[in-house]
Amino acid sequence: MTAAEVSDDDVFSAFPAVLLDRDNIAHYRGILAGKLLVNRCAACGYWVYPHRPLCPQCLSWDVHPVEISGRGKVFLFTLIHQVREPGGRLREPIVAAAVELVEQSGLRYLARIVNCPGERIIPDMPVQLTWVESENSIPMPAFEPVVAKEG
Amino acid sequence: MARNPLQGELAVVGVGSTPYGRDLQRTALSLGLEAALKAIEDAGIDRQEIDGLCGSGMDVLAMGGAGFLALQGALGIEKTTWVKNGWLGSCFVYAAEAVFSGLCDMALVVQSYTRDVLMSRSAAGDPFRLRAAQKKMGDGLFAQDDFARRWLHSGEPYAGWMGRYMHDFGASKDVFGLMAVNNRSHGVRNSNACQRTPITLEDYHASRMIWAPMQMLDMDVPVDCAEAFLITTRERARDLRRKPVFIDAMSLGGTRVGEFYENTLGWTENAFWVCLEGLWARSQLKVEDVDLFYPYDGYTIDAIATTEAAGFCKPGEAEDLFKSSWDARANILRLNGGRTQVTTHGGGLSQGRAGGANFYTEAVRQLRGSEGDRQIAGAKTALVCIGSFFHDPSAVMLRAA
Repeated sequence: MTAAEVSDDDVFSAFPAVLLDRDNIAHYRGILAGKLLVNRCAACGYWVYPHRPLCPQCLSWDVHPVEISGRGKVFLFTLIHQVREPGGRLREPIVAAAVELVEQSGLRYLARIVNCPGERIIPDMPVQLTWVESENSIPMPAFEPVVAKEG
Repeated sequence: MARNPLQGELAVVGVGSTPYGRDLQRTALSLGLEAALKAIEDAGIDRQEIDGLCGSGMDVLAMGGAGFLALQGALGIEKTTWVKNGWLGSCFVYAAEAVFSGLCDMALVVQSYTRDVLMSRSAAGDPFRLRAAQKKMGDGLFAQDDFARRWLHSGEPYAGWMGRYMHDFGASKDVFGLMAVNNRSHGVRNSNACQRTPITLEDYHASRMIWAPMQMLDMDVPVDCAEAFLITTRERARDLRRKPVFIDAMSLGGTRVGEFYENTLGWTENAFWVCLEGLWARSQLKVEDVDLFYPYDGYTIDAIATTEAAGFCKPGEAEDLFKSSWDARANILRLNGGRTQVTTHGGGLSQGRAGGANFYTEAVRQLRGSEGDRQIAGAKTALVCIGSFFHDPSAVMLRAA
């Protein structure tokens, strides 16, 4: 399925708890098509995230979702030992990381780090995009360590 | 220097605090009303003199709860010419600016906090607390179907910053632990604190892991409580029965990155630094002149960030500062060569979470000299820094009359 084939209704039903609006729906349409899209200014090239309609650098409205390379490094991370849901239990800590994407300094995407024990994660570690199924069985963006052969 | 036309023109003339408790079985409104009545009694004014009212919460209208509509009705205040809701430390600044601008002459700020289900898992077992949260947050209470949005107003990125801070500056976790021990040592002496068992650094390190590296003792204690204070003009303050505490200078702070916490700017570019820079540009006082320091401690890293942003030490040097400023007999910090005590009531970490409002009321009582056996002798100035390093921090310099 390409992003163009995903209808608004598909996105609304896939993400019942996200505050979907006309500025961010293209991002979620992309996720359902297996692409991580971030808004980019066509006038100056600046990446605009969170999803907003105006480029904060050059004030152009010519901002469009563009697929990112999927490469980045860990900027902030925490190992979630306790979830908020009362009675909720985790078999092992979930890693939440703000991944700084190579496209732009300060452009970061929050995602899980997978395929790596929590104690092995260090700040600035290189990671790459992968997809993991959410509880709703939707593949969602996550990141994993860059394996050496690809370095 | 920036303009500071309000210097000395405004005063806090009344403060009121409820008991603090884990489960007081009272509504936010009930607690807010008690704090309000105590502040009115403390100031010795007729409640109909109140013509400005700041309620509790982030919503503009906030029907129900301890918002301004409910408070004004419940207190029977006939007429107001300025109303607003607010939270954290910025509520104090809003009320002061309303008085200074002439929109009102006697502003009452009421800040009510309850142990809610997003901060305490046991709270969700209480049908009253669960219903209150559902009313506020709707069906999305725990729903999380996009991981990338989970840091929209979450504590987890503060945990991430603890790790980043230690990595970038080579600090050990003791820097956070020492703040936790300081606040507990003061809380032990505060009869209205919820956590009064003394702790050591070892206890801190052994506390339950929540969001590694953040542990239980890095987090303020969710409780039921309310605080209230009255702000008026210098002229009116002269006639009232309490020794006024004057506002010397204040500042808020904002940066271009504050909404999505993962895109936060660097350590020394975050909102606390902007806020403190704004304060020092307006106050004629300097960090060496601060007698009492009240850095918000929603998470210990907030207090580390404000300590550095205020200029008690250089960025990344808080651990050295704390270790060289440690009073091992009392287990507390003494900054500025021993003269300046920090968070003298125990803060959110030990007294309990009041969104920082208890830092203001404690500072006012200390500057009045009315804290009895907890009084810090000779305190003339207090710097109160409340809020988040992602959004709406406030810095307020208070001076004794």
